[in-house]
Amino acid sequence: MAEPPVSIHNPNDDDSSNQRASPQQQKQMEQAYAQMKRKMSMQEIGRKIKHKIMVLSGKGGVGKSTVSTGLALSLAQQGNSVGILDIDITGPNVPKMMGLDGRRLHVEEGRIHPAQGHLGVKVISMAFLLEDEDTPVVWRGPIKLGAIQQFIGDVEWGELDYLIIDFPPGTSDEPLTVAQSLPDIDGMVIVTTPQDVALLDSRKSITFSESLKVPVLGVVENMSGYTISGKTAASSEVTIAGPGGKSHKVSSDADGNFSVTLDIFKEGGGKDTAEEFGVPFLGALPFDPGFVRGGDDGVHRIVSEPEGESAKAFSKVVESIIDQIGESSSEGLEII
Amino acid sequence: MSETIPELKRLERRDLDVLLTYDGGQNFIVTYDDIKHACPCAKCSPQRNDDESSKILRREIESMPPEKPKVRTVGKYAIAFEWVNGCSSGIYRFERIWALANKLDPDDGKSYVHGAW
Ligand SMILES: Nc1ncnc2c1ncn2[C@@H]1O[C@H](COP(=O)(O)OP(=O)(O)OP(=O)(O)O)[C@@H](O)[C@H]1O
Ligand SMILES: [Mg+2]
Repeated sequence: MAEPPVSIHNPNDDDSSNQRASPQQQKQMEQAYAQMKRKMSMQEIGRKIKHKIMVLSGKGGVGKSTVSTGLALSLAQQGNSVGILDIDITGPNVPKMMGLDGRRLHVEEGRIHPAQGHLGVKVISMAFLLEDEDTPVVWRGPIKLGAIQQFIGDVEWGELDYLIIDFPPGTSDEPLTVAQSLPDIDGMVIVTTPQDVALLDSRKSITFSESLKVPVLGVVENMSGYTISGKTAASSEVTIAGPGGKSHKVSSDADGNFSVTLDIFKEGGGKDTAEEFGVPFLGALPFDPGFVRGGDDGVHRIVSEPEGESAKAFSKVVESIIDQIGESSSEGLEII
Repeated sequence: MSETIPELKRLERRDLDVLLTYDGGQNFIVTYDDIKHACPCAKCSPQRNDDESSKILRREIESMPPEKPKVRTVGKYAIAFEWVNGCSSGIYRFERIWALANKLDPDDGKSYVHGAW
């Protein structure tokens, strides 16, 4: 680390001892210097990362981390360089989903180096700080926010096309700290489930975004339907008993394959919220038990089944997000 | 990668290749086969890691019937090609297109590594 730009006189050859900084002042100056350096490094990081996307929800457990990791992997699948910052201190589960369970923070020459998960996605998680993942620390507010700033300012991401930031649920201090520390955030993605309560909370998130001055890129509806597929006699009709006693008739194709998507909750809630608030609807992700398994065994759904329905749904959401950030894309380019 | 490249102004889809015109009027031709072979997606990239699999990928591409792709811009930083035959997942950053135009290795000689497939 470089010397602080504060010259401390040697007390022996200093006759005007009243100009000397007291140990306390010296400490303050050093702190101010560290703060300034961190601020500069955050700006530098801001420049090296082309796009920064926050993933939020009003309610917990709606799938923010699943969506964050899914977006990151889907972007990486297309050849982008991607990072994820998992800022959830109380329950960071991104490492598990990225196959990095049990990793510890890797620090070299005062810089924090991300771990590389599936598809080369760079991961930094609060979990890397925890001694034991099952006993989350309760951080006091100021310490927590300081840790977040440090996490942003001291991480060596390198050049990234996308940084996805996964937050704890709710509209707490963390998003504000991030928005104030990291310049040029492209916007936030709000995750909801089709349940009304979750919807109500996502409304809060949208209002919240206005107060953060970070645009809403749109709403993603998670666990929006359950797709059942199977095989039966060729070109025949199958009746499936869905939730709420509703029966669904489907026809199989010439090979006998059929598939039907059942609404487990009320469908279209995310779309309604999006419409009501005039923000884009980014797409719906099916309920897929593979996500739960992936969270447990560390192989994300998109990695275990890169061509599956869920991977396809994610790439649609990614497409909508890119559309949102793209603005008046490469205006100068004429394609013939 | 952070070196600045001229702005791509025009992309003309011809029968077997694209004619690229950059700011300042420089023209380049890149064949569709070269574009397909340089797909940056996580499935195609590892196939270019060693010469043998890269050649196999190349032959596979060359055996596909010729077609004009659909081309769209992706954000402000890339373009994507949609093929009937061939992989349409890759997003080609303008740096990558520039490398292809200049017959440079778009992978920078680095093999592609990722955590799992
Ligand atoms: N589309 C889905 N289909 C099936 N299960 C899902 C889906 N999305 C998320 N889950 C499961 O729901 C649980 C909660 O998901 P996740 O951890 O992503 O939510 P979260 O919003 O990040 O939670 P928290 O608020 O605790 O941070 C996990 O077990 C996850 O595997
Ligand atoms: Mg989470």
